[in-house]
Amino acid sequence: MHSTNYIVGFVAIMTTVVAIVLTALFLGLKERSDQNAAIFNKRAILSAVKDQLGDQDPKYMGDQEVLDVFSNQIQQISLDMSGAEVSTADIEALGYKGGQAEHIDMKKEKKKPEGERVLPLYVFDTGSDKIYIISVRGNGLWDEIWGNIALGSDLNTIVGAAFDHQGETPGLGAEIKDNPSFPNMFKGKKIYDENGKYHSVIGVKGGTTKEDFHKVDVISGATVTSDGVTEMMVRGVKYYEPYFNKIQSK
Amino acid sequence: MAENTVQETQVQAKPKEPLFGKKERKLLSDPLNDNNPITVQVLGVCSALAVTSLVYPSVVMSIAVVFVCAFSSLFTSLLRNSIPKQVRMIVQLVIIATLVTIVELVLKGFNYPIYKQLSVYIGLIITNCIVMGRLEAFAMANKPWRSFLDGVGNGLGYGAILIIVAFFREVFGKGTLFAGSPLEWNIIGPNNEIVSYTINTAAEGSWLGWYSNNGLMVMPAAAMFLIGIFIWIQRSYNKKLIDIS
Amino acid sequence: MELFNIFLKAAFIENLVLSYFLGMCSYLAVSKSVKTAFGLGLAVIFVLGITMPINWVINEFLLGEGGIFGTDLTFLRFILFIAVIASMVQLVEMIVEKYSPALYNSLGIFLPLITVNCAILGGSLFMVSREYNFGESVAFGLGGGFGWFLAVIAIAAIREKIRYSNVPPALRGLGMAFILTGLMGIAFMALMGIDPSALTAGK
Repeated sequence: MHSTNYIVGFVAIMTTVVAIVLTALFLGLKERSDQNAAIFNKRAILSAVKDQLGDQDPKYMGDQEVLDVFSNQIQQISLDMSGAEVSTADIEALGYKGGQAEHIDMKKEKKKPEGERVLPLYVFDTGSDKIYIISVRGNGLWDEIWGNIALGSDLNTIVGAAFDHQGETPGLGAEIKDNPSFPNMFKGKKIYDENGKYHSVIGVKGGTTKEDFHKVDVISGATVTSDGVTEMMVRGVKYYEPYFNKIQSK
Repeated sequence: MAENTVQETQVQAKPKEPLFGKKERKLLSDPLNDNNPITVQVLGVCSALAVTSLVYPSVVMSIAVVFVCAFSSLFTSLLRNSIPKQVRMIVQLVIIATLVTIVELVLKGFNYPIYKQLSVYIGLIITNCIVMGRLEAFAMANKPWRSFLDGVGNGLGYGAILIIVAFFREVFGKGTLFAGSPLEWNIIGPNNEIVSYTINTAAEGSWLGWYSNNGLMVMPAAAMFLIGIFIWIQRSYNKKLIDIS
Repeated sequence: MELFNIFLKAAFIENLVLSYFLGMCSYLAVSKSVKTAFGLGLAVIFVLGITMPINWVINEFLLGEGGIFGTDLTFLRFILFIAVIASMVQLVEMIVEKYSPALYNSLGIFLPLITVNCAILGGSLFMVSREYNFGESVAFGLGGGFGWFLAVIAIAAIREKIRYSNVPPALRGLGMAFILTGLMGIAFMALMGIDPSALTAGK
């Protein structure tokens, strides 16, 4: 049996050693991991405009290329729920370091009451045209799901979409991310009908055609995830309506 | 399947003959069959089920477990005479948790997408009973080098089951292999070249067009069935493992 | 009401054992008889219910950027969480040893196994990743523990009965336990996607 002093000493030394080793490693890798996280997020946003990037697939683009495209072609705007732009300082005051739209944590925003949320908007400049990328977030079967939706310059036609999830079942719910034909179905769909009525895009079971502008097929066997996508498309896209009305009336 | 892997590791182990006597080799090969952590010792099942829906995360997970298992055994064994008995468990857990945190930080720094994918399951390596179980049963009573080998062996035995289960689940459940990695191989999954306005769920346009993915395989429950079947096969060949109770 | 929903969800819909398959080691190890399963199940409820709020406080006030150190210390999360869990388990062990030596003897080496019960650390990690608040994490801890308790009792009861059945020798014991758990998991999947808040709202 060891004495109490010995135990206390042993634990103290061990704690110190462990703390030093981990802190050193953490600080050493911090820059890398922060940058990784930022690139991961940027890549996800660029995935929504995959077609407009030419033959580059964001999935296989190098880290530097992602950063370049993002800084050269994308303008970031933060909005509040009334459609007014929020300044960098105000976003930082909400606790998002950096203050750009990309720093907004959608997960935290989703927990706030609807009226108080801030929204990220990315305007992608193709050279000849402007594409608006919006972010939506909802609930899947196991955990949250989210997506970036790219709208053409008419602010009505969807030109691209990319979805991701926290922990949906591979082969079922996770197909929203893994199966490229799922986001592909959203291309060419429309948010408003010809009378200007808001529909967004909803998932339906079986047999939609190219002309069903507000409907896409759901993934069979993943009803809850698909319902989540529908819910988030109907609710999330609507958030941006005030801002879109504003720029269209200009 | 388990027999094959045993032979492979023995072949790999041979060139380093001086450090690998007969006993040392047994430490490496035993956990792969006779004393497999999952199917015989029933340790570390949790993560075996959660991450095995795809092969790639399972491989990363196995590497992480081999690393944690080997080095925690090594350190515990080095410290075995100076660890105070009363706080033994906490000391072991701190060693394991430190190594797991190292794994987490390294993954975060070098392979962020897989870090995202594994999320909480990296942390759960701490409570992977294999690591703790081997520390208690072996490393506390044996010399460092042998404890290290025991750790590697158990990590590999765990990894072997993990990857076999993941292989069946991914191929039959999703129709791909190594999805998410640079080696991604679409075996029977949908052909993404086909543009359609509906989802390609079955093997549309591929050489196995008649096959439809098995929805059961992607469920965590499928891992239970697969491990159950492995135990059945293993015990049919290896009669001494049969549970008499 | 919100808290009750989280309890229900953790106990039935997102059962830690049957839908996340966490805490399998001790689950398989103690499920040979209902009596030991009952004891360990209670211990798990207790430990989960107690460690969850403690870990919540640690995560919120020590590790976060808003905590007393003012810097991001989240990389120490694993170590602190597991230390809290290990000390709580030690506490339970001492209590059980003092008041119920019979239970202590039958639980034997499995009590320390609660420390390495993934359900407990997993619960704490899920709590962090889902960003529960204090009340929610207590409800989640108790619900998760209750769900674990139910699952372990259920499998123990089935395993007691199945001992009299003619199972192929190689599948006896462990093999059968795995397959049974898989079947129970599938049965529990029927509950998936139920939203308890919609139920209580009368939809």
